[in-house]
Amino acid sequence: MTTRPTPAERLDQAIDSVLAGSPARVAAAVAGVSPTDRALVDSAAALRATLATSLAAPRFEARLGARLAGVDGTRWILRHPGRLIVTGAVGSAVGVGFTAYAVWRSRSAHRLLHR
Amino acid sequence: MTVEPRRARGSEAPDPDLADVRAAQRDRAAFGALYRRYLDPVYGYCFYLLGDHHDAEDATERTFVAALAAIDRYRDEGATFRAWLFRIAHNQLANTLRARHRQHATSLEAIAEPRSLADPAGLLSLAEEARGLRRALDQLPDDRRQVVVLRFVDGLSAREIGAVLGRSEGAVRVLQHRALRQLAEMLAIGGHGPTV
Repeated sequence: MTTRPTPAERLDQAIDSVLAGSPARVAAAVAGVSPTDRALVDSAAALRATLATSLAAPRFEARLGARLAGVDGTRWILRHPGRLIVTGAVGSAVGVGFTAYAVWRSRSAHRLLHR
Repeated sequence: MTVEPRRARGSEAPDPDLADVRAAQRDRAAFGALYRRYLDPVYGYCFYLLGDHHDAEDATERTFVAALAAIDRYRDEGATFRAWLFRIAHNQLANTLRARHRQHATSLEAIAEPRSLADPAGLLSLAEEARGLRRALDQLPDDRRQVVVLRFVDGLSAREIGAVLGRSEGAVRVLQHRALRQLAEMLAIGGHGPTV
């Protein structure tokens, strides 16, 4: 004997399809969602389109990764090591540029003073 | 920690994380793969529920530290590793929310927009719709909001959410049904009906 799915089960089945990429109307029709609940499948599709996954900040990822690795003294590979390398390289370039500019200004001022 | 002993994804599909979990139980260095896979989903869950980046990072950190400490105790007895991990996150969130007296420091409206929008012409209406949805989501009771976030942000099945929240699969479906009905009603009143 088979039992008829409840409205909540039909809606859940339609949501599975929506999350898998089906259009809301198709998902509702295939799951046999009642006409009164079709607006809920539309809401589900809107939620899927709107609620983006928030990404953890790379600095947080690195800090937590280091802490967790420290628990057992193991080393992990970060998901985005390139970001840290680029950040370090840009930071170094800015530092070198600033130092070079300061030296140049200092020499210019020195030359003006001794003319 | 006990979670409801059921398979995830509504079938007898094996847990896709099981091999990595077994590896992490043998060698903690292998936990890195699970960390990299679930950092963003766990962080997103915490962020949507707490509405604050710093609190979300704290809760995420406590979740992974606790998971690593308890990884040896994880057993494949029905609930997936993902459900087990989110259960830990759920407990951390409950602690934070209790400490906050269940008040949100920041409205969910502050949450970042989706990162890629293929249709620039639809940007304005999509942003408006997103604001309306987030406002409505912010007004849901905690249990309904958790179901919506776990389902639509993290993609967990009703069974997995049941394992996370300590409820039956049927109860989760009913919560989901009520949450969507409440959202649809709020959006209709607010004039931001979904256009999908």
